[in-house]
Amino acid sequence: MSSIKEKFNQISPSEFFYSNRDLAGFSNPTRSLYTAVREFVENALDACDQKGILPDVHLTIKAVEPDKPDPKPYILTVKDNGPGIDAEHIPLAFGTVLYGSKFGLKQARGMFGLGATMAILYGQITTNKPVTVKSSSDAKIQNQFEILLDIQKNKPVIVKHTTKEVAKKGLSVSICLEGDYSKAGNKIRDYVYETSLITPYASITFDDPKGQKFSHPRFVKDIPPPPTIIRPHPHGIDVERIRRMIVESQFEIPTIDDAMIEKVRKDLGLSVKKLSFTSIMEKAKKKWKTLPRQVRVVIALMSFLKMDFEKLNKIRIEDIDMPNKKLFYWDFGDSQSKSVDMDPESQYYKQLTNTVQGEPLTTFLTKRFQRVGPTTAVKFANFAKLKPEKRMGTLTNQELVNLSDALQKFEDFMAPDSSCLAPLGAEPLEKGIKKFFNPDFVAVVQRPASAYSGFPFIIEMGIAYGGDIKTGGPHVYRYANRIPLLYDEGSDVVIKVVNDTDWGRYKVKGEPPFIIVSHICSTRIPYKTAGKENVADRQEIERELRLALQFLSRKLSSFMSKRGQAEMAKKRANLYAKYIPMIAEFCTELSGKKKEPNYKKMLETEIATENKKAVKEENEIGNK
Amino acid sequence: MKLATSKKEKDSKIKARSKKADDKQKTILEMLKSHGAKIYDDLDNGQFPKFSIPSRSVSNIVYDKKLRQYILGNNAALRSSRNSAQLRSFTQLMWLAFFANRLTNERKSSTLRDVYYSSQAFAVEFEDQSESDNIIVDLEAVTSRAREDFHIFPEERSSIFGDLNIEYTIPGYEGKTMNLANHPDGYSIGPSLTTAELVDTSAEIVIAIEKGGLFTRFVEEQVDKKFKSIIINTGGQAPRSTRTLLKRLHDEMKLPVICLTDGDVYGEHIAMVIKSGSANAAHLRELTVPDAKWVGVWATDIEKYKLPTIPMTESDIKRCYDLQKDPRYQDGIWKKELDVFLRLKRKAELEAFSKYGLTNITDKYLPQKLELAKSL
Repeated sequence: MSSIKEKFNQISPSEFFYSNRDLAGFSNPTRSLYTAVREFVENALDACDQKGILPDVHLTIKAVEPDKPDPKPYILTVKDNGPGIDAEHIPLAFGTVLYGSKFGLKQARGMFGLGATMAILYGQITTNKPVTVKSSSDAKIQNQFEILLDIQKNKPVIVKHTTKEVAKKGLSVSICLEGDYSKAGNKIRDYVYETSLITPYASITFDDPKGQKFSHPRFVKDIPPPPTIIRPHPHGIDVERIRRMIVESQFEIPTIDDAMIEKVRKDLGLSVKKLSFTSIMEKAKKKWKTLPRQVRVVIALMSFLKMDFEKLNKIRIEDIDMPNKKLFYWDFGDSQSKSVDMDPESQYYKQLTNTVQGEPLTTFLTKRFQRVGPTTAVKFANFAKLKPEKRMGTLTNQELVNLSDALQKFEDFMAPDSSCLAPLGAEPLEKGIKKFFNPDFVAVVQRPASAYSGFPFIIEMGIAYGGDIKTGGPHVYRYANRIPLLYDEGSDVVIKVVNDTDWGRYKVKGEPPFIIVSHICSTRIPYKTAGKENVADRQEIERELRLALQFLSRKLSSFMSKRGQAEMAKKRANLYAKYIPMIAEFCTELSGKKKEPNYKKMLETEIATENKKAVKEENEIGNK
Repeated sequence: MKLATSKKEKDSKIKARSKKADDKQKTILEMLKSHGAKIYDDLDNGQFPKFSIPSRSVSNIVYDKKLRQYILGNNAALRSSRNSAQLRSFTQLMWLAFFANRLTNERKSSTLRDVYYSSQAFAVEFEDQSESDNIIVDLEAVTSRAREDFHIFPEERSSIFGDLNIEYTIPGYEGKTMNLANHPDGYSIGPSLTTAELVDTSAEIVIAIEKGGLFTRFVEEQVDKKFKSIIINTGGQAPRSTRTLLKRLHDEMKLPVICLTDGDVYGEHIAMVIKSGSANAAHLRELTVPDAKWVGVWATDIEKYKLPTIPMTESDIKRCYDLQKDPRYQDGIWKKELDVFLRLKRKAELEAFSKYGLTNITDKYLPQKLELAKSL
């Protein structure tokens, strides 16, 4: 038997993404060019949204050698008028993977700013050129960096750094990457076009490699209200997340050194150098309410040790054993370990418990989660078969798993807070559809917020018919968090819901000129793949989509039937004009008469009546 | 002298016959005229013309035990030229009445297909022939007259052979006679034969047979002489003109009618349609021979004569179950044979008898069945 030697290496996030770049949408030159455009444009829009700035985004793609056949290197530049990034953060932000500012829980186009770094990484791999970042966050100085990524160390390498004076804030990112514009061009143009539909308050321009300019000026002057960052919902949480929250909620026992003692002195307002233990405690009692947590912990420890500052200087706290009510410390003077008993009745005992064992369950729930009140917290504790006052720090692994399960199953939590969502709003959506398609009919709806697995979401949807819309519909424009989704249409939940609809029931027949715009907003869109192109069919989302579509379809149906009535009246007039004279002719010979019956006046009156009806119906729907 | 008398007699007979035909023509023309006048008056009074038509929907087709056939119930629908959904078919029907009027008036014959193509000359649109066929049935329903009365005939022809003298009534052939045993291929049953007078026959029975091949064999084997019969090839489901002729042979010449079909559920139903009509023609009477008898090939014959068989298809079996619900299949051999078909789940063709020799069917099977028919 030979022994197998395996070598385990830790790899950096950069290396991981380098070897798994397909996952992030960088599988080939066509897709990569498209994905890179997306990532930079979305970052620019997100940055502006967060600061309430009306975005001006300029996208430029230029071939390095225009005469070479595709695929070939292109220079991709995206420039915005956003807040910019401080010079000190730029190298890390653009030169490391998994460094970002988007880790809070609220709706944004991208999650961590990961995609942009991936694009930079891809550019560097294919062309060996650095990324160029120009940023001004104060409208005075612009910092210009050229940065390479050290893939193995996941660290930025600054190639060049210069500054110059400017008059405007904003960020410009430029990379050189291998791409295939002849194949990706269509998708990129569609992407820019569709993005401007869902971002009507942004002005987006695109200069393509063939010298064509596409300009989409803003047509809405108000930015939709920005989302707020909120605490998580109990349904949207797992064991690992709870573990991290507990760590955040616990304070470590502070190291008691000279600096700490100095801080305690200062906070207690003690000027006298030497002070007895009792007078320190008295002083602390008076000032308790204003003391910071660390200081309270030190005071609490001192209360059991019964030591003044001088003695305190000569020991080190070893362990605080709450269950056995003992405090262990190392005495430097005697060079041995000692212990004192702690009185559980003391108020200081409670202070230490909080620190060492964490908050009680109910406090943890009400303080760390959204929309959980004390009553619900107690009810939940009963449901989870945990004591309400159970300290979070004392939960065993099994108890943690049980807690996590119970959080998922408990049904009395309120629905997730949707203030972290930023839907576009029905009015701008309608404006956009009208401007883009000039339709005969348009209807939009914004559904009330709903949730799946603790993640809130809102569906916005619009439907339009006729006008400049191409026949062969319904054409579906899919959006998620204001991103157009262009690939992998087949497996998307929106497409599924649209395909399940029997349009004949809504009087839509044949190859109608007909579009549907669907926008899903959520703190977490359940994408099927990391490429972010299609949304999985979660039951709650599917249901909301169906309700939205049904609501709009009914409106479309009543439009269609009015339009149908107008058409029918016109058609009837035509039919009468065509057939009644024939009937007259045939029955004249059949009845053996020589002269045709006297029907012309009746026919004229009827035709006039029908035509009047048609005009009336048309006026009613004529809101074009 | 005698000859003169007989000629005179003959002339007066011809006159009587042609008067009969004239009367019939007159009645039909009058009826069409009155329908036309109603429409004319409506229009003349500044109204959208309308008329009522018996409903031909399944719910309005009922079985009449006394008449032994399907008839239409009392439900009727109003056809109005104001209703834009009906206007087109209203106009089509008006045209058809107008066209039928011309055909009858001028004693010209047409076919279903011919009607469909003729419509184009008058700018009347039919989507396809089945649309115009359907309008023809509408005319039948409104007037309670078969299309043959308006000189409109189906395209398909079945044929007849045997000692039967007929006399034509169609223009140009009035008084001309013909013996239907003169041509061994048989005579095709078309407009002239359907309208001809049946003068006399030596036959004592009519044998309706489902298939052309067997019809030829029967002629070759001189079944007409051996069994004193008139042989009719129905060519599958018997066309209406053939059913009319069968009825006339039965009613006017007092001949019994027997049916010989393939040994399957469809064959059984071919015989049933000759006997009691089809639901499709529930709006018409005079198309049935209630005394007609089905003599074979029965399901029980398959076992009795040890005939070679093939398995029934799924649609055969489904047809059996469908017919079990039909009121006409609730008793007698109709029910019995249907049950046996379902039990066997096998079927046999008329040709199956060839296994025992090409003439086995005429030599052995037919005589036994003719004998049996007397007791049915």
